[in-house]
Amino acid sequence: MSSNRQIDTDGTDSQLTTAGESEETVEDAWSDYQYPGEAKLSVEDLDVYYGDERAIKRVTMDIPEESVTALIGPSGCGKSTFLRSLNRMNDRISSARVEGSVEFDGEDIYGGHTNLVELRKRVGMVFQAPNPFPKSIKDNISYGPRKHGDLDTSLLSRLIGRDDRESEMALVERCLKQAALWDEVKDRLDDNALGLSGGQQQRLCIARCLAVDPDVILMDEPASALDPIATAKIEDLIEQLAEEYTVVVVTHNMQQAARISDQTAVFLTGGELVEYDRTEKIFEDPESQRVDDYITGKFG
Amino acid sequence: MKTLRTEVAGMGDLVTGRLSLALDALDGDETAAHRVVDGDDAVNQTYVALENRCLDLFALQQPVASDLRIVAASFKIITDLERIGDLASNLGTYALTEQRSSVPEVDVVALAEDVQAMVEDGMTAYAERDVEACYELADRDDRVDANGLRASEQLVRALIEREHVTDAWSVERVLDDVSRLLLTVRDLERIGDHAVNIAARTAYMVENDRTLIY
Repeated sequence: MSSNRQIDTDGTDSQLTTAGESEETVEDAWSDYQYPGEAKLSVEDLDVYYGDERAIKRVTMDIPEESVTALIGPSGCGKSTFLRSLNRMNDRISSARVEGSVEFDGEDIYGGHTNLVELRKRVGMVFQAPNPFPKSIKDNISYGPRKHGDLDTSLLSRLIGRDDRESEMALVERCLKQAALWDEVKDRLDDNALGLSGGQQQRLCIARCLAVDPDVILMDEPASALDPIATAKIEDLIEQLAEEYTVVVVTHNMQQAARISDQTAVFLTGGELVEYDRTEKIFEDPESQRVDDYITGKFG
Repeated sequence: MKTLRTEVAGMGDLVTGRLSLALDALDGDETAAHRVVDGDDAVNQTYVALENRCLDLFALQQPVASDLRIVAASFKIITDLERIGDLASNLGTYALTEQRSSVPEVDVVALAEDVQAMVEDGMTAYAERDVEACYELADRDDRVDANGLRASEQLVRALIEREHVTDAWSVERVLDDVSRLLLTVRDLERIGDHAVNIAARTAYMVENDRTLIY
């Protein structure tokens, strides 16, 4: 079929736009997102450097509590660096330097008075590849609380009658149920966690994270190593967790971001947060042409 | 995406071509009337092919943002075009059954020219992504509606005011003619409405502007 009409290719069929050629600047970022509820994390003018290289460029955004925030963008855009800056995991990289502030419940975590152990307990993290401890399923859950002193199940405490074994089992059951894993593993809690499937291991890692009673769960590509069924379970779980926890997810899978998140932040090359808004708005009518080009596959 | 838009524009050309035939039919061209009545299959086949193409794009490409709006708007616009094709066939059928009785002359051809231009302009706005033209087109529909209403009133008034018709044959003939003309006016108005739908979906496609949809 042919038409005698000239199809105007302006806009949607535009030439590829790269960050360097764009007329948009960081000042044009659409990040004035009016979210419902309170901010759990407030990031202001955050710069992260690796040596002389700036990986995150003056990012300001609030992360609302009890919701799912997705961070998307091309490889190397700084989204994982940004995620790690939310519980100071970048401190472990010697060349990394942070400027600006990240307030967690109103307290600046870079303010100098932060207890890192306590911070990472309250802002937990789940990684791309499942990384259970080479221990039993039960011990994977109770290891953290034991380390933090919240559970006492040592031989000595048993001998002096301060054994928390019942509390331990209650905790293991609660966390595994929250992570939608209980029914699959309840009869083999003493089996080695490495015998679980990839999807089960990842849910175990989420359960392990829940065991230390966090407020925020950071997830870096939590389903990218999983098959579609295991991915669907993780996605369902993320939505359920957001009823009680603040979840921040980095994902390369834009459809996953669209499915599971309440708000989406788009980072583009150079560590810029270009647009941050309700997920529906980002995927139906983004303000930025660069974001439109990226999510429709014309760039990145 | 560009292919989809070109093909939808092509369906627009097919449908406006059929509207031209309907217009000739209303103007007394019997050959054109037969062609427009018999030729609806091509529009229907194109509609089915484009509907499948949109569904494939939704399923396989999972379009988002501007691409999503192109597929969603096109998916709706082809339905309007298919309906316009059906209405063009109706107009051909009315023209063939016209008996040239003594009911007053209503200028349906002028009305038909107006709505044909609206459909053409709607599809041009779609092809050229011209939101301003969409708004102008929506305004024109008010005039078409007013003209249609005036024509219908003229027909009904003539029916009421006409001298007493006694023989059964004449009554039937007048009723047939009035009904046919009222249907013609109604179908032309509907074509105008579909043209406005095309404009409304185009404004959504280009700027996520849903004002005209509601």
